[in-house]
Amino acid sequence: MKHLNVLIIDEEADRVQALKDALHQLGHHVVCHLSDTSDLNHHVESFHPDIVIIDMDSPDRDTLESMATMSQNNPRPIVFFAEQQNDRRTMAAAINAGVSAYIADGLQADRVKAIMDTAIAHFDAHSLIRTELEEARTQLADRKVIEKAKGMLMKHQGCDENQAYQTLRKIAMDRGQKLPDVAASVIEVLNATNGLLKK
Amino acid sequence: MTAPTELEKTKLTLGFVALLDCAPLVVAREKGFFNKYGLSVVLSKESSWATIRDKVSFGILDGAQMLAPMPLAATLGLNGNKTPMVTALALSQNGTAITLGKELFLALSQHVTDWDNDETVGSQFKALIKSMGRKPVIATVYPYSNHHYQLRYWLKKHNISFADDVELVAIPPTKMLENLSNGLIDGYCVGEPWNSLALINQSGGLLTTGYRIWGTQIEKVLGVTAQWADENPLTHQALVRAIYEACEWLSQSENKDELIELLSLPPYLDRSANLIKGFTPPYSMEQRFFGNEVNLPGQQQGQFLLEQMQACGQLSDEQIDLFSISKQVFREDLYREWCTN
Repeated sequence: MKHLNVLIIDEEADRVQALKDALHQLGHHVVCHLSDTSDLNHHVESFHPDIVIIDMDSPDRDTLESMATMSQNNPRPIVFFAEQQNDRRTMAAAINAGVSAYIADGLQADRVKAIMDTAIAHFDAHSLIRTELEEARTQLADRKVIEKAKGMLMKHQGCDENQAYQTLRKIAMDRGQKLPDVAASVIEVLNATNGLLKK
Repeated sequence: MTAPTELEKTKLTLGFVALLDCAPLVVAREKGFFNKYGLSVVLSKESSWATIRDKVSFGILDGAQMLAPMPLAATLGLNGNKTPMVTALALSQNGTAITLGKELFLALSQHVTDWDNDETVGSQFKALIKSMGRKPVIATVYPYSNHHYQLRYWLKKHNISFADDVELVAIPPTKMLENLSNGLIDGYCVGEPWNSLALINQSGGLLTTGYRIWGTQIEKVLGVTAQWADENPLTHQALVRAIYEACEWLSQSENKDELIELLSLPPYLDRSANLIKGFTPPYSMEQRFFGNEVNLPGQQQGQFLLEQMQACGQLSDEQIDLFSISKQVFREDLYREWCTN
């Protein structure tokens, strides 16, 4: 069977590498791309991916959506059919794992499903070990700042720990800053705000 | 006004994108309007419209700020899963513009003095890009949006082919300004605050506004799935009422400074909120948040958006009954029942 061209768009280096290796094992040709770079349009056009696996929360998703509407040759958002429970379960698992996918016309469903299942498994596994990885990588002082910022966000936003973490991560992506720097500024802003704004 | 006593659901998560018109959701939370109606709401910052669509479709979000065409596109299953959606409240009106990068804007300024004269602006723009020796690169964010339709409409009006005369690309709003300043793109059509920020940053100038192109236009709506609306009618009503009151708060000019403070809180607009404090663009984008003509998700407006999808080749089914789709998605009836005192 001919190999498929798979494009992975993701910021998390460990996750990318593990998934890339796994898809290679399945015989596919895999190219990785960092999220949020300006040349994605050209990259997709020149690589002709059969399937794009992308972090669900990547801002680049709208770029892919746009490309899909502009040309039939570009991969389209993966679609499930409500009457097929298998499809729906795969989609739900993908969304919960934070995986989204764009596929080219005419791909066989079972080939797509095998790739999706692999991606979902790797994203799930990664989220389990994420905390450990972070602890190993971040200095104690930085970890404390991040913990404090998360706590303040949870209190202010009424959200849970994961949502607070995702918020910090998204601000970091928007600003192009590192997590500890974002955490420090969030603490500063929320401290300055306390008392000024009352519900 | 008393809060309904038997809400089906009181803890909700709503998605938003960090644009000025997420303000009704931010105000409803920070000023206690959600609490007043018995709701405890977490606002979840989302990085793309695609993610908002998927998370609402699969019930990870109860509802979200959406571009007005999105619930229609989702209901029709355009570019993704077919999930019937509804809106009973528009969050905002207008607020889009086409901004050109510095180089192109300065060049155009040499030939245009009266920017109110759209005929001149259009013909001079066309002449200018023909003389450039390359296609200007113009960015939009999402294909099912006023930005996209307004840009295409304006180009077509001035006989500029979007396929042959310009290169359309899509990039996330947070990267627009950077790309414009670096000269990687020549212009963009996007919502506030990104046009004002380009002006403040002196990275570009306004070619025209969405308001000039189309006049008054519904911009963002509160979108939920039809299934969620059926299962949670009282919660839906409480949610719409709370946000409607937040829209009223937003319309009062004495709240302007406080709004900027609220928006600058993480995770909302972050630092960009403070930058636009006190700034008035040279041509008003007429962005509005409150009033029957603003908040009503009108069936005519829905039909107009569906026609734009047809005009842009996004909706090819000619047999489709646009008015009945619009009626199913843009729930004028619910708005009238819940929001007119």
